[in-house]
Amino acid sequence: MITHFILNGLDRRAGIVVALLVAIAILVPVLNLVVPPSSPFHVPGYTLALFGKYLCYALLALSLDLVWGYCGILSLGHGAFFALGGYAMGMYLMRQIGPRGVYGDPVLPDFMVFLNYQELPWFWHGFDMFWFAAIMVVVVPGLLAFVFGWFAFRSRVTGVYLSIITQAMTFALLLAFFRNDMGLGGNNGLTDFKDILGFNVQSAETRSGLFAATALSLALSFWICSSVVRSKAGKVLIAVRDAESRTRFIGYRVEHYKLFVWTLSAMMAGVAGALYVPQVGIINPSEFDPANSIEAVIWVAVGGRGTLIGPIIGAVLVNFGKTWFTAALPEVWLFALGALFVLVTLFLPKGIVGTVQLAAASWRERRAAAPAAVALDPKPAE
Amino acid sequence: MSKTRDLLAALVIRLTFVVALFAAVLMPAAAQSTDAELKLLVDALAARGFSETEDAIKALAFTGDDRVAAVLGALGEGNLFVGKTSKQVVIGRAAGRDLVLTDPVTRAEIGTEPSAAYTKIRVNNRLRRTIQAAIGTLTLLSDNPVTRRAAAEAVMKTRDPETIPALDAAIAEETDAGILQVMQEARAAAVLNSDAAEADKVAAIATIAGRGDRESLSILTQYIAAPGEVGVAAQAAVDDVNTTIALWNAGQNIWFGVSLGSVLLLAAIGLAITFGVMGVINMAHGEMVMIGAYTTFVVQQQIRMYAPGLFDFSLLIALPLAFLVAGAIGVAIERGVIRFLYGRPLETLLATWGISLILQQAVRSRFGAQNQQVGNPSWMSGSFDVGLISITYSRLWIVVFAIFVFFALMALLKRTPFGLQTRAVTANRQMASAMGIRTPWIDAMTFGLGSGVAGIAGVALSQIENVSPNLGQGYIIDSFMVVVFGGVGNLWGTLVGALTLGIANKFLEPYAGAVLGKIFVLVFIILFIQKRPRGLFALKGRSIEA
Amino acid sequence: MSSNGTIRKFTTGALAGMLAATALMTAGSALAQEETIKVGILHSLSGTMAISETTLKDVMLMLIEQQNEKGGLLGKKLEAVVVDPASDWPLFAEKARELISQNGVAAVFGCWTSVSRKSVLPVFEELNSVLFYPVQYEGEESQRNVFYTGAAPNQQAIPAVDYLEAEEGVERWVLAGTDYVYPRTTNKILEAYLLAKGVAPEDIMINYTPFGHSDWQTIVSDIKAFGSAGKKTAVVSTINGDANVPFYKELGNQGIKAEDIPVVAFSVGEEELAGIDTTPLVGHLAAWNYFQSVEDPINDEFIAAWKAYKGKDTAVTNDPMEAHYIGFNMWVKAVEAAGTTDSDAVIDALVGVAVPNLSGGYSSMGPNHHITKPVLIGEIQDDGQFEIVSQTPGLVLGDEWSDYLEGSKDLISDWRKPLACGNFNVVTGKCGGAS
Repeated sequence: MITHFILNGLDRRAGIVVALLVAIAILVPVLNLVVPPSSPFHVPGYTLALFGKYLCYALLALSLDLVWGYCGILSLGHGAFFALGGYAMGMYLMRQIGPRGVYGDPVLPDFMVFLNYQELPWFWHGFDMFWFAAIMVVVVPGLLAFVFGWFAFRSRVTGVYLSIITQAMTFALLLAFFRNDMGLGGNNGLTDFKDILGFNVQSAETRSGLFAATALSLALSFWICSSVVRSKAGKVLIAVRDAESRTRFIGYRVEHYKLFVWTLSAMMAGVAGALYVPQVGIINPSEFDPANSIEAVIWVAVGGRGTLIGPIIGAVLVNFGKTWFTAALPEVWLFALGALFVLVTLFLPKGIVGTVQLAAASWRERRAAAPAAVALDPKPAE
Repeated sequence: MSKTRDLLAALVIRLTFVVALFAAVLMPAAAQSTDAELKLLVDALAARGFSETEDAIKALAFTGDDRVAAVLGALGEGNLFVGKTSKQVVIGRAAGRDLVLTDPVTRAEIGTEPSAAYTKIRVNNRLRRTIQAAIGTLTLLSDNPVTRRAAAEAVMKTRDPETIPALDAAIAEETDAGILQVMQEARAAAVLNSDAAEADKVAAIATIAGRGDRESLSILTQYIAAPGEVGVAAQAAVDDVNTTIALWNAGQNIWFGVSLGSVLLLAAIGLAITFGVMGVINMAHGEMVMIGAYTTFVVQQQIRMYAPGLFDFSLLIALPLAFLVAGAIGVAIERGVIRFLYGRPLETLLATWGISLILQQAVRSRFGAQNQQVGNPSWMSGSFDVGLISITYSRLWIVVFAIFVFFALMALLKRTPFGLQTRAVTANRQMASAMGIRTPWIDAMTFGLGSGVAGIAGVALSQIENVSPNLGQGYIIDSFMVVVFGGVGNLWGTLVGALTLGIANKFLEPYAGAVLGKIFVLVFIILFIQKRPRGLFALKGRSIEA
Repeated sequence: MSSNGTIRKFTTGALAGMLAATALMTAGSALAQEETIKVGILHSLSGTMAISETTLKDVMLMLIEQQNEKGGLLGKKLEAVVVDPASDWPLFAEKARELISQNGVAAVFGCWTSVSRKSVLPVFEELNSVLFYPVQYEGEESQRNVFYTGAAPNQQAIPAVDYLEAEEGVERWVLAGTDYVYPRTTNKILEAYLLAKGVAPEDIMINYTPFGHSDWQTIVSDIKAFGSAGKKTAVVSTINGDANVPFYKELGNQGIKAEDIPVVAFSVGEEELAGIDTTPLVGHLAAWNYFQSVEDPINDEFIAAWKAYKGKDTAVTNDPMEAHYIGFNMWVKAVEAAGTTDSDAVIDALVGVAVPNLSGGYSSMGPNHHITKPVLIGEIQDDGQFEIVSQTPGLVLGDEWSDYLEGSKDLISDWRKPLACGNFNVVTGKCGGAS
């Protein structure tokens, strides 16, 4: 049963993507570490760090697509789960600093020392152990999503209303984490990390390792998502997306399906955040900013929602564009980014992948129908 | 050379101080000094340090000369200059790069000279206080009731027992009951600070407690620890005043809440139309507000340049322009982008988010990232008191304006053919179209209306907010909360939602602090939506389910 | 089937394209590197911090232009590399890495607020480059690769409090700030300082508000209430940038005059005041190390050059701009002294370098990577400028580890050899924690 579920997800197309990601996970670190810098095949550390970050965003986008593309829940607060996962990892990394902080306090992180904390707040306990932090990375976002979803889906809050209250959720968390009284570093957040699992976070080897871990997590998540959407439950999810009331009347407990996929998605977002933090070296409340969550939605839209490969491509492409534009056109890059969003929604409503698929399908059809040139309706079906 | 001069001046000041003291004791009524004496004292104002200048001010005030008030007034306003070479103190009025000079003693105009030859005599807060107190004592007997009242208030702040004779003289002459009361309170404050008899002081406490405001609290608190009757009376009076203040505080919170609510209402009401009536999630709504604020800025800039006299009308001129500019941009957005996205509300979100980035950057490129200065017209500045609540004019007008906009919109939607057609399209697009309504036109006009209303909200917000490219971003989330809380598609819901959230915020703030208060409100909205998934005033009917 | 293939081709194609593009970026910059010395400018040009940072980018461009007119540096022209970190902290780290490792800049001038600096610190440490940070900050940091040209708390906050106490007779204090680390730390230091001076705890009120707080009605009325206890009250404001305009507007509207309750601010300068009508604010104070109104020939020259550069007669100068002016000139002098732009040599050469500041004296770089500056206190005038009412007689060196905080009172910083330590504990005799 379980094996069937898992294997079912790995059809040929998904297999290719997973294999590609695994290959990237092995190849890129090798090209970075083993191949000498003089070689044209060398991947510089800068590129590695950059693409490591993109892959984290890709994982976030994938988790968002699972709920939006397959279940019709548009979350404008997925950044909150990402950030919570990041904070859990950040707390572990802070505890790893130990007495190497600037004040040399063996237990308290630096920001607590200069804000006169006498002892570690209760919720910081346990984070000195990696396994505990690793569990918290999925449990905290998962729990929040479960509670939030439990109320929201049972009350049948849907559509725009749900989107707005997810936004309210992340906004409330943003304000809360900004408060220094939260004991999580306030605006400065958590930073100045030294080690992860005993390895120096700044060393090239650790960076490569983190990159590989991110690519593998993405591969694994892709596989899980693929399994979920191909399972029977996945079909129900799509039914919920397309006609929620009808699915309910047929007799499915719609809210259970939604709650399951929502919580799963939040956990994946948490993992993405946890992988992100050691690579960028800081976690701070601005990750909760509603604008970040909206940007993640845009990656999915650009790539193509309702396809699993789409959000990955979208996240990498948009972020690459951002990196490129902020350096090449620092004064006007927002015009380019804004125009991209407008153009994609207008001309690529299915996103890049959806459009490519449509074009391929119509090309096949035309070839089948040739030589009698059939005029195809270029408009995508709604 | 200049050192000896300073020394001499200091000596003169001290001497005059003593002489003046005698003079004040012997003949408290206004005395006239000779021009030469006065000139020496005035020149001493240009002393090295603030303390020396303060001595000079006091010495001048002690002369009781009726020309002194004008000199001190000029000093307080920064119109007193000292010649860089001549070391003469003069009153100057800036005219371009020149100064029109007046002799401080003879009041005769003495020509125009370049400002570079003069240094302004600096004053700081302490000197400004001294000046006000001095002017206060000097103008207690002024013919102008406004000046007299201001004088009495200024004297009250000094609580200086030496002002008692002057106050007594003024009280004897005063005919206006209101001013008389202020003078008596000022006298009471001075008595408390003197070594008067206990009974006098207790009476003074009663006089001051009669004010029942913060000022009286500020005076009375100092005597709680005083021995005997005075301390007891002061404590009792403080308790009384505190009770009064607590009562007024509740009223003040309501006012603050209403005023915050009306700001939210203004920001959200345009959204209630585009989002509520049309179902478009317009993330660029905040930018429409920002464009309205920038329109105000441009209007004021032009007025400052070409017609400074019209400044008080700048907002009235800006209102229709802001409506038109933001409305036109709204129509352009609808025609150019949104009309292709009807029926896909979540995608309007993405496209309008892109538009909002473009608009922000456009404004940033055109005007710069810095705040722009939008001035308050005179009728928007200052405040007045209702009991102990101080109501600022800008907030008051914004409340009035918000209510006006709300009812104007209601009338437009309920009482005009356009409103009827809009509501018809909202209720059932196909049917409305079948009835011959030009739905695309209605869509464009409705979106333009929503954007235009956001634009005029920007005019109002420019009075209390930063005018910067980020202005809109600060309001977009709050606006969505208001609309969703109130119920989409219902303007009354928006009104009630905005006021409820405003007042709730202001009642929570004193207890929880600004941040926690806001978090509580957000959590409350999230929970509330669970209870009523369609907001406070949900529209009934099937069309909304679409 | 074939659609799978299309996607796969597309994906690989896109990835390859991007890798190639990144390689091109690197190659392109490597070519140009031969002829010029590159200087990185890391200031947000969009997002919430753009409001303060865009002028700093412009001032750097102007300084570099001026230096090139003087013949450049070490016989080469300087070339500015501008990037936009968009007020996004992780992006700051990414852009810093890009500037150093991709563009090969010799030094970076930038960041605004501590969080952006904290986010780039590991990058500068790892890639061993030089950062000049031009904004006042809370202290509690001294890093080998960073030079702090803005004020530490002892160069702003403490002299301001001393002034209010001596000159205005203030006995009751409201410490109002935005809830982030600079106000928190500054207020901690001030609270300890005031208590040590004998101010009663009930005479200190501390209030924090979120970023961009716009509705100040309640807090201003609370301040009014706190100020009516019969003792002279003052507000020490560490309210950040954007929130100041509505705060001052509310103060003016509720009729709080500087003569009654003066407000002294550490984050309000000419630039912020340009957005408000200052008539109701005359007499409120600010403490900085520079004001545009400083009367000094070098300052006049700088202001004239700035106005010409911006092409606007109303352009104003402010303290962080002066910090960049000092920092840039120090860097130029250190590079000339070292004869190279190599980071290690420049870092060593920078300590002890003295250059003219804009307030008529010389600022020098201390061994703790902070600089000496005079402390000026100014009152707001109706034209948006400051009237200087007090100036410390000598220069004050930035004190990175505050003596008034429990954790840092025993720490010192000295980057000269042989100590070369940013957080040396004088009690234990050890260089604590980092490095």
